[in-house]
Order: sequence, then C-alpha cells, then structure tokens
Amino acid sequence: MSDALLPLRRMMLIRAFEDALAARKDHGFQLLSTGEEAVAVGLSLVLEDGDQLLTGGRSIGPALARGVDPGKLMAELLGRVAGVNRGRAGRGHLSDQESGFFGAHAVVGGNISIAAGVALERKLGGGNGIVAILFGDGASGAGGLYETLNIATLWHLPLLFVCNNNQLSVSTPREASNAAKELRDIGRAFAIPTALVDGLDVWAMAKVAGELVEHVRSGKGPAFLECSSLRLRSHSTTARETRSRDELAQLHKLCPIKLESARLLTEDQITNAGLEEMRADAARQIEDVMAFADASPYPEPEEVLAHVE
Amino acid sequence: MSNDQFLTTRMFFREAVGRAVREEMEADDRVLVLGQDVGAFGGSYREFDGLFKIFGPERMRDTPVAEAAAVGIAAGAAAAGLRPLCVITYMDFLMIGFDALINYAAKLRYKSGGRLSAPLVVKTTAGAQGQGVAHSQCIEAWLISVPGLKVVAPSTPEDAYGLMKSALRSDGPVVYIDHKRLFPAPGNVPVAETVIPFGKAAIRRRGVDLTIVAHSYMVRVALETAGLLEAEDLSCEVVDLRSLAPMDVNTLCRSVERTGRLLTLEEGQVTCGIGTEVATRIFERIGVRPWIRVGALPAPVSSNPVLEAACVPNADRVAQAARTLAAR
Repeated sequence: MSDALLPLRRMMLIRAFEDALAARKDHGFQLLSTGEEAVAVGLSLVLEDGDQLLTGGRSIGPALARGVDPGKLMAELLGRVAGVNRGRAGRGHLSDQESGFFGAHAVVGGNISIAAGVALERKLGGGNGIVAILFGDGASGAGGLYETLNIATLWHLPLLFVCNNNQLSVSTPREASNAAKELRDIGRAFAIPTALVDGLDVWAMAKVAGELVEHVRSGKGPAFLECSSLRLRSHSTTARETRSRDELAQLHKLCPIKLESARLLTEDQITNAGLEEMRADAARQIEDVMAFADASPYPEPEEVLAHVE
Repeated sequence: MSNDQFLTTRMFFREAVGRAVREEMEADDRVLVLGQDVGAFGGSYREFDGLFKIFGPERMRDTPVAEAAAVGIAAGAAAAGLRPLCVITYMDFLMIGFDALINYAAKLRYKSGGRLSAPLVVKTTAGAQGQGVAHSQCIEAWLISVPGLKVVAPSTPEDAYGLMKSALRSDGPVVYIDHKRLFPAPGNVPVAETVIPFGKAAIRRRGVDLTIVAHSYMVRVALETAGLLEAEDLSCEVVDLRSLAPMDVNTLCRSVERTGRLLTLEEGQVTCGIGTEVATRIFERIGVRPWIRVGALPAPVSSNPVLEAACVPNADRVAQAARTLAAR
C-alpha cells in the first residue's frame, strides 16, 4: 500500500468500525466521529511512537488512528474482557498507553489538564516525546482549557492543543457556545503559535498539525490548532438530531472520505475499482474485529471489586 | 542494634511535614511538589521551608491560582509515572479540583483495568481559624465515600511525618489533610526514619466509661475534654483515627466493646459525617451501643470570632455531650 492511500484507508477503517458498532443493539451509547475522521487520521500521521494522545469522550476514531488494536477496541466498546481495559472503561474512558493513546476522559474539558500532567512528565523525564490533547468546540467554554493553556505556556510544556471544531456542542452551535471569533484566538491570547486548518482535508490536517508538532517537539512550548470539521451524526447514538434532512444531505457532500476519494480519483492515484476494493478490505477487517470481540466474554460479576485500590 | 530507633527529636507539625517530604524527595526523584506558594515562599504555613534551596523550582513548582488544573496536572503526571504532591491551600478549594481527583485519579486503576494508576498525594489544610465561610471547612466526609481514594488526617507531628511518608509511597491517590491550628504544635518525632501505615488508629488515652473517636485537631479537643471529665470521675478513652479511608474498624470495635459507649467528634458537619460512618461500621460488627455525635453546628463557619467559636466543637460542648452519653 502506498503512503498516498494510507490516510484514506485509515479513515475508511474508522468509518466501517463505527458503522458496525452503531448497528449493534448491545453497544450501549456511543459518541461517533463520522465526518471527523480526517482530524484524527491527519493528526496521527504526524505523531510518533513516543508521543501520547488524549481525548474527550469522542475517542473511538482517534484511538483507531493512533493504532489501538481494532479488535481489542471493539471488545472494549462492547464490554468484553478482551478489551483494552477489560471492557470496563468504554468509549468515555478507554486507554492504551502502549499504543500512544493515553486515554479518554469523558467529562468535557476534564482531560486537558490531565494531558498537561502527562506532558510535564515528558518534559522532566527527558526524551522528545510530546502530548496532544484533542477536544471539541464544546470544551472550549470550559475553564480547564484556559487554566491549562496558561500553565502549559508558563512551563513550556510539550503539549499540542487540538480543538476539533465540529460546529456543535450537542445542540448548541459553535457561535453560541464561545465568544471568540475563531477558536484559535483562544491560543493567541497566550502568544503561542496557532493555526486554523480545514479538518475535512486529511492532508492539510497532517501538514498544519505537523508544523505545530515540530514547534512543540523543539521544546518551545505549546501550540494551538483549530480544526474545522463536521459532525455528520447526532451528538451520540441516543441523542436527537437537531438538523434537517436537507441540511444533513448538504453536509454529507463534505464528508472527508468522499473528498479524499474524489481527490485521489482526479489525480489518477486510484481507480473506482481500487476504491471499491479498499472499502471491501475495511469491511472484511471489521468482520474479523467483530468476530474477535464477540468471541470474548463479559467480565464475571466478581470482577466488580478488582483494581479499585 | 543501636538505640536510635527509640530516640526522638522535638519539632513542630509543619517541620514534620517538611521533613517527610524532603526525605521522600531525596529517596525518589519522581517525587515533586506543586501548588500555590510552595517554592521560594516555603508554603503557606512554612511547611516546605528550605526545600526550594535543595530541590529548586523544577521540583518545588509554584502554580498559578488554578486548583482544577493543578490537581489535573498532578493526576496526569502521576498517571505518566511521577509521584506528585499537589498542595491545595485550603480544603474548601479542593472542591475546584474534584473532577481530576474523583472522576479521573480515583477511578484510573479501575477504569484502565489495572494498567494505569495515579500515585498522587493532595495535601490540603482544613479547619477554622478566623478565615471565614469558604476557608474553614472540613469536608473529609465527602471524600471517604469515593472508591479508590485514601484519606488521612494526622493530629501530631509524629503522625504528620509518618503518614506523609506513607502517602508519598502509596500508589494513591491520597488526600492528606492537615489543620491550620496544628502547624505550630510541637511534638516528639523519631530520629530514625519511620513510616506510619494507613489504616491504623491510635489510642491516645485509655479510659473505661466511654470512647471518644476523633481525628485531626479535634483529637486535641477530645484529650482536653477527657482531662476535664477526669475530675468528675468520668473516664474517657480517646481514639485518633489518623486514617479515615481505610478505617481501622478493629481498633474502634475493641475500644467500644470495652467502654460500652461511643462519642464521635469532628469539626465538620455531622450529617453523613465521619462520626456517622464510624458508628455504623462499629455497630454493624458488634451491635448497637449508646452513641452521641458532636460536630459543627449546621451553619457555615464565619470569620466572626463569636460565631466561629459557637459553630465548631470545643471541650465544654464535648464534655456536655459526654455527660449525657454517660447517663444513658
């Protein structure tokens, strides 16, 4: 597989994974990232093995992009003991630090200061690993962001703030939830490098994130990246959709997988048959993922008291 | 074998805290302190005097006034492998850090299936000393119901030293509660390095008629009460909890089985309080005994000296309750 096709392949895997999960009746409630795959994949293209990614509750796409084993991830989301956290964390709290995914924390804004702590350990422990914290526009009104930006800047922490602006905080539009003209302006107040990138374009994501990652890795302190993306599903699998069918149909034309597929076709880097094969590959892989997860049992009830202290 | 293990040295409570932190920082370079005014200033109560000179600004790390982020950063650093001591000036302000402490750190080992933990110590200062409604509270009872969280509250310099050492070696998270009125208190502390394990109460005074269970500064009030009542031929046993979670139910039960009566004393609120939990744990095991609980009146603690004194327990109030209990 050529590098040119890698981002699309990864985005297709995330889409197929989340679609298969959503189709299950036993999945509980999930926060899916349909429309936001390019943010996770583009960012992960420029993170390295020694780096860590933390997220809010919308963790599935980012965890997959970072390289968490899809079978163990699906098992985790379905509550099975083969899950990365024995099925007890779920999408809101899963972690797999060996894959560079330090974890989700589903209290909105809550993981931002945690990520700064991980970055402090990186800084004091030496090495050139950095930390990226991915949060939504919904977290941009929370105090933890501002407190952490301040301290991370004062302490020159190797921390990249990545705001995935998917335009909606449950039902509240971005313009109604944050007074800043652009969310990147929040970073400007701390005189750190900021950028606004088209989060639907996976290559633009990788390029701009890469520039900021380079800054952070050089020891010059944090940076702030706003990614303009779209949430093509409702907030969660149990939340009401607030947009009309027509509006959603228009938005679906901007799907990052469609955009990247079209670009590759236009540039003759792939054929329609090639695209179809890629989709089929993803579907086959997800069949294996589901089989792996389903082969694993739920935990025994006795496990409820394990690992409390 | 030398006799060093029996030698003690006199020091203030605040010095005992500082000694424990210094020894643990010398022994383990993963230990660092972060919080407001912990650096060159030496801590709000001078409990870190001298440490900045030894360890410098990287490990005695001043933070802005941002408790939520301070606890969060400490929790994240702990999860990543450091052993931070996060200092929250007043316990009232710990409320601002509850998400990182309770939703993240206390649940981390559980939610990761044992793959991550947060060996974090939050040191905070409780109690009334003229500072008003949002600088005086004792909210440790809120904390002991959190699975995964350990809570200790020393009353003597020796315990301040030994429990801090245990806390910094624990796989945490731990909330270590000191008290404004205890910092200037002197006491004997072993010369030799010693560690006091969690979950061990201490009997501070033997007695036969009733057991007073207290922690932190209220242990001193309990001892003062026992002194007052001795003149009335009422003999009080005083048990210092030291560790609230885990709680030493064995020692508590043995004491109440001997004396037959229980008086629980705390500076915080009695509703869903430490005393209520103490009584419940004891009675679940040995059956119900006569019990009275004493704590702050159900009102905020004002900085007004008259109202503050009226709100928090003193020896006279405790003695009155003890007399009532003894008559049952």
